[in-house]
Amino acid sequence: MNKPTDTDGSADPSVFADASQLANGDAPMVELVGVSKFFGDFAALTNINLKVARQEVLVVIGPSGSGKSTMIRCVNRLETHDVGRIVVDGIELSDDVRNIQAIRRETGMVFQQFNLYPHLTVLDNITLSPRLVRGQTRAAAEAKAMELLERVQIPEQAHKRPGQLSGGQQQRVAIARSLAMEPKLMLFDEPTSALDPEMINEVLEVMTDLAREGMTMVVVTHEMNFARQVADRVVFMASGEVVEVGTPEHFFTNPSEPRTQAFLSQIL
Amino acid sequence: MTDTAPTAADQPTDPPLWSPSPSGSVSTWLKKNLFRSRLDGVVTVVAGTIILIAGFRFLRFVFVTGRWQIVRENLSLYLTGSWPEEHLWRLVVVVVGLALIAGFIGGFSAGRIDDDPSRAVSLAGRDRLVDLGSRLWPLVVTVALLLALTTTIGPLLVAAGAIVAAVAGNMAGRAVPGGMSAVPVVVGVLFLTLAGIWLLNAGLSWNSWGGMVLNLSLATISIALCFPIGVLLALARRSEYPILRWLSTGYIELFRGVPLIGLLLMANVALGFFIPNSLAPGKVVRAIVIFVLFTSAYIAEIVRGGLQSVPPGQIEAGKANGLTPIPIITRIVLPQAIRNVIPALVGQFISLFKDTTLAGAAMGLTDLLGGAEASTAQADFRGQGLIAETLVFVLLIFWAGSYTMSRESQRLETKLGVGER
Repeated sequence: MNKPTDTDGSADPSVFADASQLANGDAPMVELVGVSKFFGDFAALTNINLKVARQEVLVVIGPSGSGKSTMIRCVNRLETHDVGRIVVDGIELSDDVRNIQAIRRETGMVFQQFNLYPHLTVLDNITLSPRLVRGQTRAAAEAKAMELLERVQIPEQAHKRPGQLSGGQQQRVAIARSLAMEPKLMLFDEPTSALDPEMINEVLEVMTDLAREGMTMVVVTHEMNFARQVADRVVFMASGEVVEVGTPEHFFTNPSEPRTQAFLSQIL
Repeated sequence: MTDTAPTAADQPTDPPLWSPSPSGSVSTWLKKNLFRSRLDGVVTVVAGTIILIAGFRFLRFVFVTGRWQIVRENLSLYLTGSWPEEHLWRLVVVVVGLALIAGFIGGFSAGRIDDDPSRAVSLAGRDRLVDLGSRLWPLVVTVALLLALTTTIGPLLVAAGAIVAAVAGNMAGRAVPGGMSAVPVVVGVLFLTLAGIWLLNAGLSWNSWGGMVLNLSLATISIALCFPIGVLLALARRSEYPILRWLSTGYIELFRGVPLIGLLLMANVALGFFIPNSLAPGKVVRAIVIFVLFTSAYIAEIVRGGLQSVPPGQIEAGKANGLTPIPIITRIVLPQAIRNVIPALVGQFISLFKDTTLAGAAMGLTDLLGGAEASTAQADFRGQGLIAETLVFVLLIFWAGSYTMSRESQRLETKLGVGER
């Protein structure tokens, strides 16, 4: 079993307590060691220590302003962390542009606001990066894109523009766009928060399928049912700190921290 | 007038406002739009009187009192300046060639849009002709007027040749297979344009260009050059690299802060202070340089506004998707930014087109306006107060060009779906 070896000794052992049963013997996919981030004097993240094992689904919950989004945006350098180390698939994030590009190439991200390219068709949205970054031919990239659109169940929308799609369809296209780069890790930043209620499930279903297929996922969400049913571990954050990490079972039935208990009692 | 009320009563499914009788709808329309209240009625009567008087006086000037002989006799001066007759064929070749290229581009893009199932289908046959007519009528009317004013058969033949070339180019453009990349087409068009400039220039220096041809050439060449430069300046002004930012900001603020005519005068007179006269380029080149320097500063600010209108999430999506900075700019940010500022850009281009008359005034070139002024000093027409006739003609030409640009830009906006996300 793969108990984390704390090289710097600063990591809180409880953070990794449950990762052991999930890790499959490899190095972790994502490792955050003592990560802090400041916006001026405001500490957005304070001493975050987290490991995400390969094929693990980690769900991050917490009140708004707790630093959940900031944390996962640090993983692919949409935000810059000020203190600590972030290692993704063995590559350490630094100011080196090549490292940043390498990490972004194998990390997909799905945004709250979809952020599809409105001037391109669905198909072009999906094939743009594979063609420009992976050097795929248009034909190969489009074949792959159609496959992915089948998988998210909207192949008939391939030639429309994002503005002609519903929110749920747009978010599924955004997932397909990320998958087209064949990422090893997927980051979801509140993927269902901007959706009308009746469209949330179609997106969660796609995410659940993805988790079943063994994708490593870090999901910031307020969907507690998704956390309960799909997560391998749940992280609770508040005020820029990781308060508690545990299995969904532990988390939803018997949380140990008072702050977690207070939060869960408010939302459940 | 037939009473439509029973019909409407017999067919209650008809919408009540949808009257089948046109005369009935005219009176209803008048009542609804022009005489809704007492105040509306007063405004309608006053405005209508002014419009009628102005329209009557204008039409009387055009068809009765105007003495158009001066325009008739100086048509070639207005259109081509003092272009030597033995070189006129160069101009004809270029005009026909331009028509061919324009037709080809139109056909090529229409063919590609037909192939793209996400776009609206284009019109067919007769509808296309109607569409083209409704789009280009200011140009068509102006060309027809020019042809009516000519005294020889030559211009008619040129016009006919241009139409044939445009149609042929259009058909050729449509015949290009849809999957083909646009790159060879762009390269080909650029090459042909350069060839056209060379053809005009060989055996005839820039400096003998004149008339409307000069205004059009100054405008098209300057627009083609100032647009990419303006985009680069806008990007530089938003760059994270401070020296680029300072240079770009300084450039923009300098050229936006000085009057264009001052720059043109300087290029005409004061260039000798900076460059030995033997090295200084000809006047037309100087004018183009000044127009490009000046207008690119404005274009830069317009494009910068467009860049700011693109949500930051677009750039983040590109980054997260593994794209490097250059494709993020060229494939994601710029297409959206420029699409959002098409009206302002075209406004700037129209302004440049009209400002080309300043080159005539400030640099002593005989452009369309200069030719018009010169013609009133000819022995046959001197002292007869013909400046109104010549100016109306000049303004018509500029209006036709500007209005066409404006309409085409509106069409482009609709086509690209500006305002829809």
